[in-house]
Amino acid sequence: MNISSSPAPSLVYDNADSDMESVNSSSPESEYEPIDSQEIYDLIATISDPEHPLSLGQLSVVNLPHIQVIDSGNPDEMAEVLVEITPTITHCSLATLIGLGLRVRLERCLPSRYRITIKVRAGTHQSEIQVNKQLNDKERVAAACENEQLLGVISNMLATCK
Amino acid sequence: IEEYDRKTTLVGHQDRVWVATAHPTLPLLATCSGDKTVRIYSLASTNFPLITVLNDSHKRSIRSIAWKPTGDLPSIALGSFDSSVSVWGQENSDEPSSEWSFLATIEGHENEVKSVAWSSNGYFLATCSRDKSIWVWEADEMNEEFECLSVLQDHTQDVKHVIWHPIEELFASASYDDTIRLWKEEDDDWACVAVLDGHKSTVWSTDFEKLSSELKQAYQNNENPIHARLVSGSDDLTCRVWKRVNIIGGSASGNIPSTFRSDPVSEEWIEDSVLPAAHTRTIYSVSWSGLSGRIASTGADGKIVIYKEENRPENTSEWVIEKYIERSHGVHEVNCVTWVTKGEEEYVISAGDDSLVNIWRV
Repeated sequence: MNISSSPAPSLVYDNADSDMESVNSSSPESEYEPIDSQEIYDLIATISDPEHPLSLGQLSVVNLPHIQVIDSGNPDEMAEVLVEITPTITHCSLATLIGLGLRVRLERCLPSRYRITIKVRAGTHQSEIQVNKQLNDKERVAAACENEQLLGVISNMLATCK
Repeated sequence: IEEYDRKTTLVGHQDRVWVATAHPTLPLLATCSGDKTVRIYSLASTNFPLITVLNDSHKRSIRSIAWKPTGDLPSIALGSFDSSVSVWGQENSDEPSSEWSFLATIEGHENEVKSVAWSSNGYFLATCSRDKSIWVWEADEMNEEFECLSVLQDHTQDVKHVIWHPIEELFASASYDDTIRLWKEEDDDWACVAVLDGHKSTVWSTDFEKLSSELKQAYQNNENPIHARLVSGSDDLTCRVWKRVNIIGGSASGNIPSTFRSDPVSEEWIEDSVLPAAHTRTIYSVSWSGLSGRIASTGADGKIVIYKEENRPENTSEWVIEKYIERSHGVHEVNCVTWVTKGEEEYVISAGDDSLVNIWRV
């Protein structure tokens, strides 16, 4: 591998490969510990349901056995979190809002190496495929997160999180 | 399979970079971002100096950008989540000039504009949106007046991406409805001439094969060749190559106006091949090189994959993986990959969720 010998101008830097970045940003040892499903559950169970005065954990919308984490703990590698939610009713019109709230919560709390997948649990929603597609479409999520009104609703849902 | 030996990184955006794209003839690179700015760099020197930043153009993320291929001075269209499109141009002929000015706002879409693309002759601008529609606009030379020629609503879901054929007045659209559609002008209106069905989930991006000098010659001689290919990348984790095998009606039927024809213009496209599987998460972007004919793909798994076509006996060919880069933007997703040619050298440019733009020497 070949590192450029020319001096780096202010806007540009060269390096041999992406491994260099991890050397530069060496993290404290605690960050090398993988995150487990209990920690994910604790992050999202306290989110408030948008229409009930209860949390998603209390309503069993989120359940510990329905959270999967694939994580080596290595900060240079991508890790995966899969959360399957169980809407309270199969025609729940707020399933996408709840899913978006979960995603916003996890994206704010987890390091950026986590790829987050949020789905409704098989057989728990009449529009399962459409809801799952929407919840995991990066562009739709990004645009939704620029919608002030929607963000207001989500921050109310997240207000009960520690 | 070898790794690339070097990359250069352009730092400056404050949020995820959605698109990086080079001017078709001038040494200019533009990038757009969730930070609501467009940055324009010079590709003329090896340190890729920043020329200008287009600020205060849009209220939300700038999702896509497209250089107008024609005109005395460079100009560029910006498509934003704020549902509008704007056009900007260089003010004077100094080279390179940091003086860029706002030329026009184009409004019509109901919500997020996802992609913008100019036809190769610069006459038309296509824009698409989450509102499921594609608008075709006619541009004047000064980029001041944009007249809407057609609103195309055949897709049943968000239209993610539009791109024009390198020579023909033909464009492709890719959609959340899992299909690709091809569009052509017919009697002052635009019509869908083919639907490419095969992907099992959202199609995020497509790119046409660039034309060899022989094919360009054939076009100039008005031989109306059928040959055209398109590559597509999808949430179903596949890249597919599609091939045009027939053109029905239209100019192929002579000069009879279509109102007197029983057959409207249509094209027959078939799936030519599925590229070797390489991605583990959504494929966001594909690009077909004009110089080497190679294809690059990238996506949420952070990989850049380069494919090349190998000739096989009896006029057949096969796509193989030539190279790949794992974690091209560290642990981040990559939204765009594009080929850039500089003389006989090729670069691959990638744009990531880490706010960075990487330029890879090939």
